[in-house]
Amino acid sequence: MSNEQRSKSSIRVLQVIIIGGLLIMLGRIFHLQILDYETYSPLSMQNSLRMEVVNPARGLIYDRHGTIIVENQPIYTIIITPSLLDLENLSLLADLLQLDEEIVYNRILEAQEYSWQRTSRLFTEVSFEVFSNIQENLWQLPGIGHIIESKRNYPSNILASHINGYLSEANREEYLRSDHLRLGDKIGRSGLEMIYEDYIRGEKGTSYISVNAFGQALGSYDNGSLNVTPTKGADLITTLDADLQALAEILMENKQGGLVAIDPHTGGILSIVSAPQFDLHKLAGRMDQSYWQELNSNPNTPLYNRAISSRQPPGSTFKPFMGLVGLHLGLVTPEWELYNPGYYVRGRRYNDLADPGNYNLHKSIQKSSNTYFFWMMERIASRGLLNRWSSMIKDFGMGPISQVDLPFERAGIVPDSTYMNNTFGERRWGLGDLISLGVGQGMVSVSPLQMAVATASLANGGYRIQPHVVSAIRHADGEIQYTNPEINKIEWIQPDHLEIIKEAMKAALLDGGSNYYGAIPGIEIAGKTGTAQNPQGESHGWFIAFAPADDPQIAVAVLMENSGFGSVSATPIASLLIEQYLTGTTTRQHIYNHVINFLPEHGTSE
Amino acid sequence: MQDKREFSWSVIFIWVALFSVGLIAIYSATQGPVSQFLPSFILENFFRQSLWISISLVVLIVIQFIPPRTFQEGAYLFYIISIILMIITLFFGAEVSGSRSWLRIGPMNFQTGEITKIATLLAAASYLTNRRDISSENLKTALVTVLIFAIPAILLVMQNEAGVAIVYLGILPVVLFWSGLPYGISALMVSPAFIAYFTILDWRLGIIAALIATLVIFLLQRRVWLTVTSFVFGALVIIGAEVALNQVLQPHQRARIESFANPSLDPLGAGWNVLQAKTAIGSGGFQGKGFMEGTQTQLRFLPEQWTDFIFCVVGEEFGFLGASTLIILFSLLFLKLLSMAASHKHPFAQLMIVSVTFLYFTHFIINIGSATALLPIIGIPLPFISYGGSAFLTNTILLAICLNLDYNKRSLSIYR
Repeated sequence: MSNEQRSKSSIRVLQVIIIGGLLIMLGRIFHLQILDYETYSPLSMQNSLRMEVVNPARGLIYDRHGTIIVENQPIYTIIITPSLLDLENLSLLADLLQLDEEIVYNRILEAQEYSWQRTSRLFTEVSFEVFSNIQENLWQLPGIGHIIESKRNYPSNILASHINGYLSEANREEYLRSDHLRLGDKIGRSGLEMIYEDYIRGEKGTSYISVNAFGQALGSYDNGSLNVTPTKGADLITTLDADLQALAEILMENKQGGLVAIDPHTGGILSIVSAPQFDLHKLAGRMDQSYWQELNSNPNTPLYNRAISSRQPPGSTFKPFMGLVGLHLGLVTPEWELYNPGYYVRGRRYNDLADPGNYNLHKSIQKSSNTYFFWMMERIASRGLLNRWSSMIKDFGMGPISQVDLPFERAGIVPDSTYMNNTFGERRWGLGDLISLGVGQGMVSVSPLQMAVATASLANGGYRIQPHVVSAIRHADGEIQYTNPEINKIEWIQPDHLEIIKEAMKAALLDGGSNYYGAIPGIEIAGKTGTAQNPQGESHGWFIAFAPADDPQIAVAVLMENSGFGSVSATPIASLLIEQYLTGTTTRQHIYNHVINFLPEHGTSE
Repeated sequence: MQDKREFSWSVIFIWVALFSVGLIAIYSATQGPVSQFLPSFILENFFRQSLWISISLVVLIVIQFIPPRTFQEGAYLFYIISIILMIITLFFGAEVSGSRSWLRIGPMNFQTGEITKIATLLAAASYLTNRRDISSENLKTALVTVLIFAIPAILLVMQNEAGVAIVYLGILPVVLFWSGLPYGISALMVSPAFIAYFTILDWRLGIIAALIATLVIFLLQRRVWLTVTSFVFGALVIIGAEVALNQVLQPHQRARIESFANPSLDPLGAGWNVLQAKTAIGSGGFQGKGFMEGTQTQLRFLPEQWTDFIFCVVGEEFGFLGASTLIILFSLLFLKLLSMAASHKHPFAQLMIVSVTFLYFTHFIINIGSATALLPIIGIPLPFISYGGSAFLTNTILLAICLNLDYNKRSLSIYR
């Protein structure tokens, strides 16, 4: 082979190599760009597009005067996608977070354990300074992100912990079952937050955001044309009176019990307190775990809403209702008198602490004599009127749940023959089990809410109101949906009978301890104290009242656990609340101090 | 001087076209919306590149006035000087991102390895011009040529620039082949690369490649010893590659090598780059997303998008139209240079032009092969396109030498 020939053939070989290279490369890009375009185009879209769920603002909660009770507060959260993180940046990250490297590293390990690919919260509720430091340095921190979230905030001076309720993260079962919940979403667990969850949650939006390789958001994609704006949750307008609630909470501090103040004409709850309360601030946002544990292990059960779930015998506060039943059934007349020797004997001796003497209905209620009502209950029992009596008492709102818009309400007990048969067995019960019902002891039991509803029916001329906290729901589009609860006349109540009871309750407030602790200068109150026997310890004190007696604006029921006589413990609280509500202030400093310093015997038998 | 019409203006035209594409791509990759994520020194790349192109243009013109014999006569001296410079760099050079390949002289920074490219090609061409008797019986010349390439290649590896060293491995067989190395032995020289490549994909493919290589070599040159050598060699390459992959390399290193074929092996390391590069090119489609509209580029999903992955910028923003135009432009340049070599009578000029052509071609194949996931990612620039002043200048000087030799083909004596 000559050099000339060899040279020519070599050129051919090299040309073939180059053309081969050309064809391979052209083929390769043809494969990628034409044949596999459908594979890579969406990949690049996904790469540069991130769909974010935009959480709606949760609805606010207002009191009746427009004061905000529950609002949202922004919190700053640093998030992490462990798979994208470069641990070489650890010291920078720790610096920016103003934390020890070790703490940050441990959190990162936790996040890795949860998921390598999924984004989780690294630190929540960081300060704005830390948040902006991180924001500025995101480009050198792949895998780190930041979001603004919100937590509930309670800007007014009231806790209303049992009314508002707290939120906590939806559990696995909940978010898997629901199409509007995602991991990490919080839902209402008690109070209005729970009952009105579907209204105040709002609807999630979606937002398409351009992102770069570091996951930094660069702004909305395609000018937001694909975005769905979230719908803000509906606001709740409640019937609460923030000033009244504030006072009620102060008065109930360090005590155990429940109170309900209600507008007797509408059934709107003005104030509702269950003591001890708990601090919603500590459960909002990043839940204070040690506080949560403490709440759950506290023997005084602060999470339990005594105002609507406690079941206690109403004691003598039951007497006005007995009086109305007795008058209507014709068992007594207003003038008819019964001698009280200081006790009542039927099978056994029932004590009566009122002075011996002749008692008519008025005097029996005023002086809280038992004999009259023991006698009345015996008549009811012996004439086979037990079931009639039971249904009339239930008409006042005692017994069955009221269906107030708060969770975990518990029914009281107003026994009838079925109930007695179920409890004791067919024909295994008798008069002896019924007589004490006449003075609100024994099997009968009610919650403060039920007593408030019953008291309201005395105040409003015999109407059964539906207790409620929320009067209106204001939707995001401005539409207001009123709850308009029903009000029903209790047909059998006669106005003249009601007048007799009201006069007696007015007179009761002029008497003894009730007068000292209960009377408000210039305002006439109708009220009744009661003491519920507590087999485990000191008796519980009750007080029910409405005022002004002739034009009632407010009805109150107060239950003070383990506090002995209601006139000393419960009456002054109700009285101060009534004064506050009707006059806007409290003038009787000595009564106020008495309540503040009043220490009931805490605990049970010990 | 001869008629200026004999000057290869078409090569100049392709050169201008290529660096224009490069400038457009660098502009998009550094000055587009992406600029907000880039450190400030990267932002200056476009202007620096423009400056280097201007300098290179001057150098290109100046080289046209150098007597063509000078290249051949000065080759050895130039080679020795450049090797010494590389050794100096190895000890006193500035370290840039892990490689000690930059020499700083006053305000100037340059990669001595780039100068050595020119020197090595000149030296090899010069050496082989004086010995035209390479044959399978006398391999001494071939071995000396190997040495001429090996010295700078080893120095480059020591400077931590192994990627550039691979280019020498690509040119060497071509140079030897051109100088008369028999077909069979030439095929034997390139076969390990193919066998290793297929072994990385799958060892069974490696065996098939080795068998085919042996068969081809047997058909080219029916010598029993060569065929046996080829077979043993092929087997050793397969075993060596498998041992290296399974025993020597750490799993992450292995993943880095294999990830071009299977990005999921190292999804956040090399695999990430492979995936993003393929996504960028693939999503460009037929027409591309438009200048400075490529999401992969502008949102910084591509690594080194102004140098090693610049082809992805072209592919994404200008689509199949742009990318294929670029590939065809390169091929035209290569074929034009080859025809220059073919029409030349002087063996030094022929050898020089062929080796320059294959220097470009090796860069072209490795760079685009890496970007399109045909090859493992080896970080070397795309000639005239990628950002990088030293490389651009070097490549232009090589082109200028070729043009000079071509233009002066009559004045070069045909006597050697």
